Amino acid sequence: MRRFGWSRILFNLLAWAIVFVVSFPLLWTIVTSLKPQTELFLIPPSLLPGEVTFEHYAKLLLETRFLAYFSNSVVVSVATTVLVVAVAVLGAHSLVRFAYPGRERLAQLVLFTYLLPSVVLIIPLYLLLVRMGIANTLFSLVVAYTTFALPFAVWLLRSFMAGIPQDLEAAAMVDGASRMGAFFDVILPQALPGIISTAVFTFILAWNEYLFALVLVNQDSSRTLTTGVITMLVTSFHIEWSMLMAASVMMSVPVIVVFAFLQKHLTRGFGAGAVKG
Amino acid sequence: MTKVTFERVHKAFGAFVALEELDLAIRSGEFVSLLGPSGCGKTTTLRMLAGLEQPTRGTISVGDRVVNELPPAERDLAMVFQSYALYPHMTVAQNIEYPLRKRGVARAVRREQVLRAAAQLQLEALLDRKPRQLSGGQQQRVALGRALVRNPAAFLLDEPLSNLDAKLRAHMRAELIELHQRIGKTMIYVTHDQLEAMTMSDRIAVLDQGRLQQFDTPLEIYNRPVSLFVAGFIGTPAMNLVKGTLKADGNRLVFDAGGLSLELPPALVRRDVLREGGIAVVLGVRPEDVLLATDGERATVKVVEPTGHESIVFFDLMDHTVVGRVGPDVRLAAGEPVGLTLNAAKLHVFAAEDGRRLNADLQPPATQAAPSLVA
Ligand SMILES: Nc1ncnc2c1ncn2[C@@H]1O[C@H](COP(=O)(O)OP(=O)(O)OP(=O)(O)O)[C@@H](O)[C@H]1O
Ligand SMILES: [Mg+2]
Repeated sequence: MRRFGWSRILFNLLAWAIVFVVSFPLLWTIVTSLKPQTELFLIPPSLLPGEVTFEHYAKLLLETRFLAYFSNSVVVSVATTVLVVAVAVLGAHSLVRFAYPGRERLAQLVLFTYLLPSVVLIIPLYLLLVRMGIANTLFSLVVAYTTFALPFAVWLLRSFMAGIPQDLEAAAMVDGASRMGAFFDVILPQALPGIISTAVFTFILAWNEYLFALVLVNQDSSRTLTTGVITMLVTSFHIEWSMLMAASVMMSVPVIVVFAFLQKHLTRGFGAGAVKG
Repeated sequence: MTKVTFERVHKAFGAFVALEELDLAIRSGEFVSLLGPSGCGKTTTLRMLAGLEQPTRGTISVGDRVVNELPPAERDLAMVFQSYALYPHMTVAQNIEYPLRKRGVARAVRREQVLRAAAQLQLEALLDRKPRQLSGGQQQRVALGRALVRNPAAFLLDEPLSNLDAKLRAHMRAELIELHQRIGKTMIYVTHDQLEAMTMSDRIAVLDQGRLQQFDTPLEIYNRPVSLFVAGFIGTPAMNLVKGTLKADGNRLVFDAGGLSLELPPALVRRDVLREGGIAVVLGVRPEDVLLATDGERATVKVVEPTGHESIVFFDLMDHTVVGRVGPDVRLAAGEPVGLTLNAAKLHVFAAEDGRRLNADLQPPATQAAPSLVA
């Protein structure tokens, strides 16, 4: 009994220690963003701010283009997510349901995209976007992120849809649905966890992306949060630590909200995908 | 009313031939069973009819319409899938309602019809459950309900009773027969349970390895199986089949099999199949045609299996084992010597090489055609 008690306590201590280590940067970010600038570089550092201030948040929101970048990020991420999910759902369905030559090969090739480091793709992609006349727009980022997220999305959804019995769709069609009707009535609801995982994955990828955003967009009006905040607050001579931390906290909010609401589906989704794929 | 016709329908999956040149003319309002061992192509036949699988070649018609190119929704058929195929995210009521909804039936009418189908299948208490909260038998009834709620041109039922317990199964069998009599719809019923096929069907199509063996009334199939396969497949206990040689000796017809020599009625087989020196045949005798007779062949009782209303008895006859049925009052004990004769009027003779029936009661090409009575 005693041994059991001890090991239990030890196990809990260990778990909490890990949680603390992992979440420390996040905590530190929040704490820093709430400190007045004078407290920033105190030695020894103060773990809890002596005085809580929201001045950095207020300054960011009222005096900078933070909100413009934020709305750009929302537009890009949501548009990318919608586009990727729509295309990937149809693509995955096709890979699973229809027999055509080269189907398996195609499914494998899809993942080959990830063998190239994305840096290598940036320059050709940029030239292409210029040629299409959409360089420096938010739309160019949507296109770029879509090319990047789509293969994985197709792959993930494919393993999901492979797990949906074929007879379901067949039954719906015999019951009077068109192929599209059967898809909407039966396949989509069944694939929902997979669709949610895919959407979350795409949204986070688009939200946090930095490299493409930096190279493909050189115009302040089309900057997203990642590049906008950095160019605004970080220069070669000076880093606005407090505002940077406040910006980081606000940037994390949408991601945390998305995770909090969809966490249940997400774990289920990745689990299923992994087992069947 | 709706007849269903398969004309030279062929189905191959890659190199594998699942159905070979199927010709099947099902009359309007007929109850037809597709019967055969696992993998013989029953489900494939239904799926092609429903439009879920495209035949490699051949024509399928429903009524007077060729349906080859029609999508499933426009064929107006209701199907029960072998796998049930219940929509997991819908409740039982929504599952049953779905085909009505897809056909634009008004909400109030839908509700009423769902309730009626549910009552018929004893599903009232389960209407708000999801399929995964149901037992296998309950799921099967929901699948049946989803088909029965509609008023289609024909019903396709793929082993709809396979998962029910004996009592419910008998009940549903009666329900289906009653339903068929009441609405008179064409029904195509897949089963590998021959008792089910025999008791329910107007006609049975026996399939083996993608080939239609015989398409006829249950009695005809029982009494005049066209091939060794049909003979062995239909009937429990199975027909006794003994390999041997058949020789015409003047006016006599003699069957020889390892020490056993039987004189058969001279008109039993077609004369044109007999050869000089005899032909290799398989002699078939149903258990009920093995008769006890004091002056018969000498045999010994090996095993007795009483079932209550009769007893199944295994006899040793020379070096063959022969199964017979005797009435409940006949007391036999293992090891007891008995005399056996065979009911000469009901013997079946099949060619050993290809299994076709050689009896004179079967004219050479007359196999699949319906026996008169064209509607
Ligand atoms: N999509 C397919 N691809 C390849 N072969 C198939 C396909 N569908 C069916 N088959 C093959 O065709 C044959 C007939 O299958 P079918 O499902 O019609 O059998 P069945 O008579 O319904 O058997 P059971 O009683 O087991 O349900 C089987 O050998 C099966 O393996
Ligand atoms: Mg089957």
